[in-house]
Amino acid sequence: MFDPMDDAIERIARHLRRAVRIDPALDERVMREITVLPAPDRATWVGQMWRWLRRPHHLTLTPLGGLAAVTALAAVMLLSRMDSKPPASREMESRAFQFVLVAPRATHVSLVGDFNDWDATRTPMNRAGNEALWTAVVALEPGRYHYAFFVDGSHWLADPSAPVARDEDYGAPSSVLTVGGGGS
Amino acid sequence: MRPPFPARVLALLATMLVAGRAAAQQTDGRLERLDAATRPAVAALVDSARAASLPTEPLVQRALEGATKRASGEVIVAAVRRLAVDLGHAREALGSTASPAELNAGAAALRAGASQTTLAELRHARRGPLIVPLAVLADLVASGVPVDSAAAAVLALARQARDAELVEFRRAVERDIALGAPPAAATAAAATTTMQSSSVNAGARSQRPGRP
Repeated sequence: MFDPMDDAIERIARHLRRAVRIDPALDERVMREITVLPAPDRATWVGQMWRWLRRPHHLTLTPLGGLAAVTALAAVMLLSRMDSKPPASREMESRAFQFVLVAPRATHVSLVGDFNDWDATRTPMNRAGNEALWTAVVALEPGRYHYAFFVDGSHWLADPSAPVARDEDYGAPSSVLTVGGGGS
Repeated sequence: MRPPFPARVLALLATMLVAGRAAAQQTDGRLERLDAATRPAVAALVDSARAASLPTEPLVQRALEGATKRASGEVIVAAVRRLAVDLGHAREALGSTASPAELNAGAAALRAGASQTTLAELRHARRGPLIVPLAVLADLVASGVPVDSAAAAVLALARQARDAELVEFRRAVERDIALGAPPAAATAAAATTTMQSSSVNAGARSQRPGRP
């Protein structure tokens, strides 16, 4: 029995069995194309980082995580604003000041003031060569300071060589020292 | 699914920052020297000043001065409150760019009796820091010079006198008062002398070769 489908298949098979003629210049053309292709990328970590930065990425955040990120960013910005101080200028440089008291009968004298938290233990004064002379040296930045001498743990004395503190609230006398900022 | 690593790190960072800031704003440890009843009142005043961007160190020092001098809690709180008010008035007069030291000196001048107008005029008259002019003004009034005379003299000198010249002016006034001169007359005489001296010095300064 004649089957037209068998005949078609036979003709296709015959066609496929024929030898394929390849252009002898093909190999040469392929190799030429390969040589002009860019060399494989041997990028350093910087190059890899750069590629990573240019590629889109997906970052998954929970709502809490996103809130924390925003809070952290806001806190960093706030801290950088609050803690930023102008660079110390020459005007704010501290200078050493010597305080002197003549107290021949004193056995212990402390210098107390705005510069040492009014702490009588922080700046004890030393007897100079003269037994009656008590001295202390303190470094101070520009400003206006109240201070006093605390004698033998019981008496307050103002500095007789300095202006008296008018804005005195506590009865016991204080003096004023003004440290300038090298102004005009 | 576990939260991604960056989110957990950021959450931890935020918590640490907020906690650190809160710890930094706790009550100043130095105020422990105040008694238990006085401490919260002073701390509240300090916090209010900080919130208003006023300098807090003068307030702490004023409280510590009271504690060391064994003043009562009421007196300490009143003194700190008064200083806070004066600092606020000083800033109104001197402007928001005034330094903490200028505000402290301005508060002293106001407490001595100077007006906010005088402080504002000083700000316009002098380009440099105002710590010394303000302090000299307060010290002169404390020496017995009428506030109007002291303000007029300091304002006249502030434009060109240097800090050292202003301090020398104050010493001259105090010396003359100690020798028996009327305070207002002593101020006027010393101001005239300082003005002339300052003009000569300013001329000499202007003739010096400048530096690049």
